[in-house]
Amino acid sequence: MALVAVSTLAAEPVDWVPARWPWSDPASLDLIEGTPINCLLVSTWTQAFVEAAAARKLALLSVVPPDGDPVAGARRAAKAGLAGVVVERELPEDIARQVAEAAAGLVLIELGPRHRMKLGGAAPVIGTRQGVWPGIQVLEGGAAKAAPTGSPWIDTNSGFLRAVRAWGHRTIWVGSVPPAGTIVLGERYLQAIADCAMAGGRWVVSLDSDFAARLAKREAAALRDWKRMAAMLAYFERHPEWRGYEPVGKLAVVQDPENGALLSGGILDMIGARHTPVRPVPVARLSPEALAGSAITVNVAGAELPAAKQEVLKGFARGGGTLLNAPAGALAGHSPDAATLTLEKAELERVADLWRDVQSLIGRRNLGVRLFNVSAMLSNLLASPDGKTVVLHLVNYFGYPVESVTVHLEGTFRSARLLSPNGTEKNLEIYPVEGGVGVDIPSVSVCATLRLD
Amino acid sequence: MSAVTRREWIAGALGAPLAANSKAATVAITTCPSYDGDLVGELGTMFDRIGGLGGIVKGKTITVKLNLTGSPGLRVQGRPPGVTHYTHPKLVGAVAHLMGRAGARRIRFVESAWASGGPLEECMLDAGWNVRSLAAAAPAVEFENTNNLGKGRAYARLKVPGRGYLFPAYDLNHAFEDTDVFVSMAKLKNHETCGVTLALKNCFGNTPSSIYGDDAGAAEPNEHPGKGRLDVLHLGKRGPSGSAPQEIDPQSSRDPGYRVPRVIADLVAARPVDLAIIDGIESIAGGEGPWIKGIRLVKPGVLLAGTNGVSTDAVATAVMGYNPRAARGTTPFSACDNHLLLAEALGAGSADLSRIEVAGVPIEQARFRFDGK
Repeated sequence: MALVAVSTLAAEPVDWVPARWPWSDPASLDLIEGTPINCLLVSTWTQAFVEAAAARKLALLSVVPPDGDPVAGARRAAKAGLAGVVVERELPEDIARQVAEAAAGLVLIELGPRHRMKLGGAAPVIGTRQGVWPGIQVLEGGAAKAAPTGSPWIDTNSGFLRAVRAWGHRTIWVGSVPPAGTIVLGERYLQAIADCAMAGGRWVVSLDSDFAARLAKREAAALRDWKRMAAMLAYFERHPEWRGYEPVGKLAVVQDPENGALLSGGILDMIGARHTPVRPVPVARLSPEALAGSAITVNVAGAELPAAKQEVLKGFARGGGTLLNAPAGALAGHSPDAATLTLEKAELERVADLWRDVQSLIGRRNLGVRLFNVSAMLSNLLASPDGKTVVLHLVNYFGYPVESVTVHLEGTFRSARLLSPNGTEKNLEIYPVEGGVGVDIPSVSVCATLRLD
Repeated sequence: MSAVTRREWIAGALGAPLAANSKAATVAITTCPSYDGDLVGELGTMFDRIGGLGGIVKGKTITVKLNLTGSPGLRVQGRPPGVTHYTHPKLVGAVAHLMGRAGARRIRFVESAWASGGPLEECMLDAGWNVRSLAAAAPAVEFENTNNLGKGRAYARLKVPGRGYLFPAYDLNHAFEDTDVFVSMAKLKNHETCGVTLALKNCFGNTPSSIYGDDAGAAEPNEHPGKGRLDVLHLGKRGPSGSAPQEIDPQSSRDPGYRVPRVIADLVAARPVDLAIIDGIESIAGGEGPWIKGIRLVKPGVLLAGTNGVSTDAVATAVMGYNPRAARGTTPFSACDNHLLLAEALGAGSADLSRIEVAGVPIEQARFRFDGK
């Protein structure tokens, strides 16, 4: 069997839109038709399936589970002519070298635990198998769990993705699967896609077994949800320029994985829940340029910074910026282990002290954007490299459309346009507010993007 | 169970016969199935039935106390708070429009926004209200968060006529004093502590958290309140800021079912409701907000208005399927004293249906049982 060279595929790895594919029947690939999915993660395959995928220019990636042998898996993938291999664990250098030798010419993607991600590396795709399932936390009895802000708390991967993007990565996969034993409703899949995409990541489409079975039978309801998922994926893929946009805002957070940058539910997510735009800055990238435009810098990394980095922070403060240093050691030991994705209770209590200080600093200030009627939403404010275009992504985690969202943006803009996954675009009125402009968004279903020029 | 004091009994006994054989007040009821209907027309007709809006508001400053209880971020099943536990913004807009048309000089919408001393407009925006539209609904529309000093320079001390049940006077935002007309624009709801929350209970929110909140300053008001209002008024765990009048009898009951109804009666006596408007188009039953277990969505489809808060609440309570004169231990006042009767005893109005003229739709036709039976 001939190898499928990556160059013969429809897209480069950075443009792959991945899905875990539970089927090896060539007919299953009909479901791909009309979707942007162009990369399938498979555990089993047949020759007919591989050929059918090749005919559709789909990239097939063999999945090696955490307890699998990555070298053998790579050999198997190479022999079958797949485009690459996805290893769901960290690869020590020697093993990585063996895998590369065994699968020469194939793309190797590591989806290991978050804390072992090779941040700052050169891999075209970086990712993890670990992700929280996005959505509003629901307590027994159906009530929403309240956040410290009094709003419902939303589980999200967006803070984690912001932190990874701050290392310069542009193609980040979150390969988490639906919670075991659960049936996921269609809306929740849309939220999972949008939650990652708004922060510049790609959620590896992964279906719960019930949905997969219904989809395999081409049940109407399942097909309808599948099409909606495809539309959501397509929405973000239609705008590749957004992946090159950078976070804007006047709040910077200096944080490394060692002090919780890769955990969900930490400082970045708490700030995100307040809809305050935030720019994560890894210690390695801390520089006067990285803090340019910031009014407030929160140094979560604490006092144990190298002298040169401390000088950067002092310079920021001397220049009139507000600097909040986390107490020394307050967040030490937050490095997540393989099973930990979120802050433990004791850690949450420690972070709560810092959070109170951050909250009092943020107050009601407009640090780039202020949003209203968004208690069940998360957002991300990004700007084009030339600074002329700003996009504000909104993801709604309620099961209902939210009406009458108000946005107050700092700056001057001449036009505002609302984009939705259903393909509609609409010009919105801009009106002056203190320090900037206001825009009223009539309704947000699962996701919408406000683009201002 | 808390007993009615001798003073309360005397006040009630004396108050009731004063206006016997005459109707004490008129309350209008109309049915209105949806917020998308002709709210201006429905409200206009209702106001005409209680004597017309012009006589109440023309050339005057109006303070309208809304019901925006709890954080606007807390929702019932994700629904806009206007269709569950807040006064609906469309109704507020219609009222503003009618008041403007009737010649109101200034309309000031107020509420003590939950855990915030910031602008009320921001709370409204967070609830999904179109504040720009509301501001344009009439000339000279203003907004004030009464949870602290707000735009005023000093707190207004409103004394309770006589002596008051719990406090002799309350320190409130200036908006409650600097006004010719006070309007309580409430929601038709149950209340976990007080049985029902209507035009009277809405006035509980007149109290600023800066003085009566859990994080109120010990000596002086905390102008940046960030908490709710349980410890002082509900539970009596602590007093209000030292700058404000203190409790008459610190040894009195700490039971919220005793205290809150009395605070309501005090407040209503101190700042009587000149116009009560109750939004019962859509609401919740079983409690006052999403934080109460067991609440359910209801669509009573009614609006009520009256120029006396006690009487309007009495009719509204009857529309909800309850006896407005029910004693403590009887639904809906199962675990609390009846604040309608307490307010009546302070001379704030009559809760006696036989003394209230109902205009428009009769109570029986408008009735929507909140107990679900």
